[in-house]
This record gives sequence, structure tokens and C-alpha cells, in this order.
Amino acid sequence: MIIPIRCFSCGKVTGDLWEKFVRLLDEGYSDGEAMDKIGCKRYCCRRMVMTHVDLIEKLLKYTPTGRNEKKLEMSRTAGQ
Amino acid sequence: MKPSKEELERRNIVGVGAERVTNVTSTDYPGHFPGEDHAWDLGYFRDNVTIEFHKNEPLEAEFSLIGVDASIANAFRRMMIADVPTFAIETVHMEKNTSVIQDEVLSHRLGLIPFKGGKTGFRKFMKFYKKPEDGEEHSYVDFNTIQLSLNVECTHNKKAAKNETDVTKLYNHAHVYASDIEFNPVGRQEQYFSGDNAIVPVHPDILIAKMRPGQQINCSLLMHKGVGSDHAKFSPVATASYRLMPTIKIKSPILGEDAKKFQKCFPKGVIELQTVTRKESKEEGPFKGKEGEWKAVVVDPMRDTVSRECLRHDEFKDKVELGRKRDHFIYSVESTGQWRSDEIFLEAVALFKEKAKKFEHQVINMAR
Repeated sequence: MIIPIRCFSCGKVTGDLWEKFVRLLDEGYSDGEAMDKIGCKRYCCRRMVMTHVDLIEKLLKYTPTGRNEKKLEMSRTAGQ
Repeated sequence: MKPSKEELERRNIVGVGAERVTNVTSTDYPGHFPGEDHAWDLGYFRDNVTIEFHKNEPLEAEFSLIGVDASIANAFRRMMIADVPTFAIETVHMEKNTSVIQDEVLSHRLGLIPFKGGKTGFRKFMKFYKKPEDGEEHSYVDFNTIQLSLNVECTHNKKAAKNETDVTKLYNHAHVYASDIEFNPVGRQEQYFSGDNAIVPVHPDILIAKMRPGQQINCSLLMHKGVGSDHAKFSPVATASYRLMPTIKIKSPILGEDAKKFQKCFPKGVIELQTVTRKESKEEGPFKGKEGEWKAVVVDPMRDTVSRECLRHDEFKDKVELGRKRDHFIYSVESTGQWRSDEIFLEAVALFKEKAKKFEHQVINMAR
């Protein structure tokens, strides 16, 4: 759902690594290099960021104002 | 009768074969070898124990502890993980939480965040919080409870550009970070935790929650002192482990192409290729007439992972002997940031001393 604060196995803090990781991927790093760069050296911590799916982004779409935004977007695309 | 130096060295090495491990148990205790006295002696112990640091950074330390038994080394490791106290959020009073993260998940996430602050305050001033018995009231006072609060509300950012797609710019507080947690000192805490010593999260960028406009989190947090044996969030280390020092003994020289192959059997830096010198080639022995050829030399056995790869090749099988030093422990301690890594070890040693004193007291009582 959202990146876990700590690695399940060893307890290293991973909560601050996700955003750095995604930023590095956008810059064109491969995921292995990106993980090395943010300091994930053990495979337990590496799987925390590598296999994470940020599902919260999907849930965040269901907000009171989200409905209006979707309507606006649909009317915009319908006009094209 | 004293055993020879070679014999002592032989006893001190755990053999690592291709498929088995030999000489596993330590034998340096009284009554094992007839005629040898291995009674524990403070002077001998003091002269033989050494600690060498290989790496000493705040978040990571690597050091060798040489000359102790495995039981003592393991006690230090376990105490670093489970007995060195740290601070973590223990109680969350949720006043309002309209984010998509549920109350209990949010509370759990808050609990796992490591905090740092004035070390004398943490060590001397702050005491353990005692849970109330049935029917008793909570006794939160300045020396056992630290008060924090998290109050964030996500709103639209009026200044954002019209076609902005980045949510962190489009909204205020779209991402809730650990740095949003505020510390509210009470009583004498002002004196111990102000300025540079203020209590703040070790990693300010920890993502606690994500929100959208209209969502809000209001909660007050209570932090207590605790130990890792109670909950892993109190553990001061991410990992604290040790391994035994590897030994590689080349029994007969490995030369030429074989040496190159031999080097590849080990991690980088363990084996070095050197040329046979003229002097060596003139002397009687295995190097005679081999001037200029490569020979394999062990330079840094500590880097070896003891993968035993070299024992899989028939040409090296009888030329090399792998092992580990029984009393040489290479610790690797990774702190979560509340204490420095070396401090955690010192703290563990102090705790060990305390425990030993308590135990001594009990033994004396037992003998009465």
C-alpha cells in the first residue's frame, strides 16, 4: 500500500527510500544501481523497495473532490 | 606442561572442508587436556583481549573482538539487539484521521520511526515508563514520557501553476513526512532537549502518509524508553552480527595459470598475484628455476566469504587449507541512528557488566 517504514527482516529504515528510488529510476538508473545508490545492500532491504507497489496512489483517487476532477477531465477529453 | 605454539594455533582453528566443518568446539577449559591448566585468569585475559576497528561511522561500524569465547561474543551481540534501550512512540491518541491510512496502521508506522535527541537526557534523565497495574492511573511525568504531536491538513495550493501535475506542488501537505512531527517539551525536558538536543526523527524524509485535499491527521504521540526484547522498534541496531575470521593456508605453492584461477575462486582482494623473484628461484625449494612466474599469495583473508569454491577444483584440493579463527570475531553493527554504532557496543559491554554483578550476587546468595 504505502512504503513500509522499516525493513521486515533487519529493521533498517526504508520509509525514506521510496521517493529517492523512484527519482533515480526516472533519471535512467537501472533498479539495481538505484538500490545501491540509496544504500540498500542486503537483499532483505532491497526487496522492500524493489517489490513495493505504491497502491495508495490508487486509493487517493477516491476523494470527495476527486469525483469533480474526473468529471472535468472527461468533459475535456470528450471535447477533443 | 605447556603446549607448543603450533599446537595452540591448531586448536584455535575451525577447519572448513569441502563438505564438512571440523574441530568445532573450544577446548580451552580446565580438565580437557591432562596436565594442562586452562583455568580462567584475569591477567591472561586482559593481556590477550584486543579490539580493532576497521570501520567506524555513525551508522555503521565494523570491528574485531579477539580473544574471547563464542558465548561472550554472542552475549554482546544479543545485548546490542535486545537490551540497549532507545526511544520510540508507544501510545498514539488519534483525534482525527481522515486519510486513507487506517488508525492502527498509522499508529504502527509512527511507532517504527527512530528518534534522536540529547544523549545525556536520554541516558541520565529519562527513566523507563512503568505500566499501571489494574485500577491504577497512568503516571505520565517529564522523566518517563516524551510528548509529540502530528497535525497536518492537506489543502489546495493556490500558487500552483494551472497545468501542474506534481501532487506535492499542487497541494499543501500531500505527503506527510516524519519532519512534520513536533516535539512538545514538558517540565525539565526543556533543559535536556533544546536546541541541537531537541528530539527529532533521525530520518526527516520518512513518508508517513499520503493525503489529498480535505483529508487531515491530528494526533498526539507519547514516547517511552524501551528495549528490543519488548518490541523490535526499540532495538538500536538494524543488524548486529559477527563472523569468524577466515584463514587460508597455502600448503604447497600455486604457480602460473593455476594461480590466476585460484585468485578467481575468492572475492576481490583476498589473493594477490606476485612474481617469483630471482632470489627465490635460486634457492632450493618449490620455486627453483621458476623466476618471473606468477604465484598466489594470501593478502587479506578477512575479505573472504569462505565460499569454499577453491575446494571444488581438483588442482587446489590438496594445496590449500581453509579455516576460521575460533576467537576472532568480526562484528558488523548498523545503527538505526539514535546512538552511534560504537556507542551501542560500549553500552552492551556496560550492560553485560551490570548483569554479571547481579548474577554474582545471586550466586553468593545461593552458596549461603
